[in-house]
Amino acid sequence: MSTLELVGVSKSYGSAVILKNIDLALADGEFLVLLGASGCGKSTILNIIAGLLTPTSGEIRIDGKRINEVHPKSRDVAMVFQSYALYPNLTVERNIGFGLEMRGVPKARRLAAIEKVARMLRIEDLLKRKPAQLSGGQRQRVAIGRALVREPKVFLFDEPLSNLDAKLRMEMRAELKRLHRMLRTTTVYVTHDQIEAMTLATRIAVMRDGRIEQVGTPEEIYNRPATVFVAEFVGAPPMNMIEATLDAEGLRLDASGERLALPIRGEEARAVLLGLRPEDLHLADGGEGNAIDVTVDFADLTGPDVIVFARHSGNPLVASLSPHSQVAPESRIRLAFSIDNMHLFDRTTGQRIETRHSFAT
Amino acid sequence: MSAGLTPMRAWLLMLPLLAVMLGVIGWPFVDTLRLSFTDARLVGTGGDYVGFANYDRLFASRAFWRAFVVTTEFAVVSVFIEMVLGVLVALLLYQSFRGRNVLRALLILPWALPTVVNALLWRLIYNPEYGALNAALVQTGLLDVYRSWLGDPNSALVALIVADAWKNFPLVALISLAALHAVPHDIRAAAIVDGAGALSRFRYVILPYLAGPLMVALVLRTIEAFKVFDIIWVMTRGGPANSTRTLSILVYQEAFSFQRAGSGASLALIVTLAVTVLAVAYAALIRKSAGARF
Repeated sequence: MSTLELVGVSKSYGSAVILKNIDLALADGEFLVLLGASGCGKSTILNIIAGLLTPTSGEIRIDGKRINEVHPKSRDVAMVFQSYALYPNLTVERNIGFGLEMRGVPKARRLAAIEKVARMLRIEDLLKRKPAQLSGGQRQRVAIGRALVREPKVFLFDEPLSNLDAKLRMEMRAELKRLHRMLRTTTVYVTHDQIEAMTLATRIAVMRDGRIEQVGTPEEIYNRPATVFVAEFVGAPPMNMIEATLDAEGLRLDASGERLALPIRGEEARAVLLGLRPEDLHLADGGEGNAIDVTVDFADLTGPDVIVFARHSGNPLVASLSPHSQVAPESRIRLAFSIDNMHLFDRTTGQRIETRHSFAT
Repeated sequence: MSAGLTPMRAWLLMLPLLAVMLGVIGWPFVDTLRLSFTDARLVGTGGDYVGFANYDRLFASRAFWRAFVVTTEFAVVSVFIEMVLGVLVALLLYQSFRGRNVLRALLILPWALPTVVNALLWRLIYNPEYGALNAALVQTGLLDVYRSWLGDPNSALVALIVADAWKNFPLVALISLAALHAVPHDIRAAAIVDGAGALSRFRYVILPYLAGPLMVALVLRTIEAFKVFDIIWVMTRGGPANSTRTLSILVYQEAFSFQRAGSGASLALIVTLAVTVLAVAYAALIRKSAGARF
């Protein structure tokens, strides 16, 4: 049971800055997901926590103790790699027990621990096999087993599900969630898959260009994205961004000149982006003021929804409507949204503008 | 169109190659076999059939057994040094440091040198009057007086082994270096996080990747070392007091210096047989280790 802290951690190679002043604090048993596109520095953070990389500056603490100078093997962290990184010449049993073997745990205790973990992961029948004789999903289980068996203070996962097919990925996701519920080990999990992040995390840190854009619960990240980047990164299809101006009379859409009947005011005219998630749009049934007119390009039925690709004054806009919606190409439709589900961002800074406060005034 | 060839056409297409092979390997081999059962001289008589007399005499001769021991010593020790040194140097050159690429390029030099040039270089180094080795050892106080390294039966074979290992370890090093680059980065990292020290990492993580390529290097080098002729011929001609006379040197002396073609042929066939046994044993080993590895 452990806490993990990163304080002002930076990493650069020469003039190339990979991480800029990262601050993170994980409570005991927390499952933090680092979410970001490839190259944003999330794996670097993991390697720094594991001790495989040395930060240029900043401090890493486990249970409040600085571990910068502690050798990886003494940090009591376990890591699961995207490529599984199983030792090809060793059996599954020895792969799982390797960390214990290297730490001089007696054989009897080692075997008991391996058996327990194997049962937990349902790979008891595979213990005598070599990694080459396993499927991708089985290898992933072995890699997770290798981390579990050591009962470390912190788990580090580096895109562990990226090499699995969609169905297996979903199964393993559920499996990881089950394991974390059971073990409650402090975990840092790196992924670029927002579904993994949303489903697994107790908190998500969205990263961009070596910085953390926002840290929050999945609900906060989804419902109140702090920046345009987070708003567009999380959610599929991504949030629509409509250029608008906020002034003393309310919100005016720049492209169409429409005014929306919303109780929002700005003291002086301000260039903003109105963010609307496709799933928050619905067909207007009459007099809603908070609605916009669009021209439909085409519509795709995905099963649970109809995804409508439309244009609003020439700009693309996507809406996710109920599957019973009758939407014909080239038709004009009116899409409404609730003010609770709209997002406003400052167009220059990209920062969120809290609308709830403006409603009060 | 079918990609298959009729057996007839296949044989027809291979015929030129087979003919050349039969001409340059098959016929000499058969003729050597025939010669080994005669008392033929290099010049003059074609020789009479003498049965296994040549073989009997060889197996009874001390010179043969002595040469066999010298050859084995030379092959085992020099190949062992090459393997160990090669792997160690490869591990060093795998680390990242300034000037690594220059060193990697330099590494090939000894191996790229013609054997005769290498042999002459080492003769200079070992020279009893102005050799660098003597100078270095005396000037550092490790040795009182200059010695004749190649002239002393006690040191000549060791001196040869050093020269041979120096020339050939780069091959092992290059093969190992290539194999090291095949070890996935994540697996190294996993072993570090798992708490494996440098030795355990080498033993459990790196060596399995090196084993296959190293086995190939081992086979090549052992077979070559067992047949060694050129470096010894240039440096010592089998002397002093036959202390560096390997089987190949003995074959040469028997067949050409003493002009006994018959008994030289029988000796050559024994060397061939020994090398074949080695090669077959190794091939079996490689197959086994390749199967067991991953």
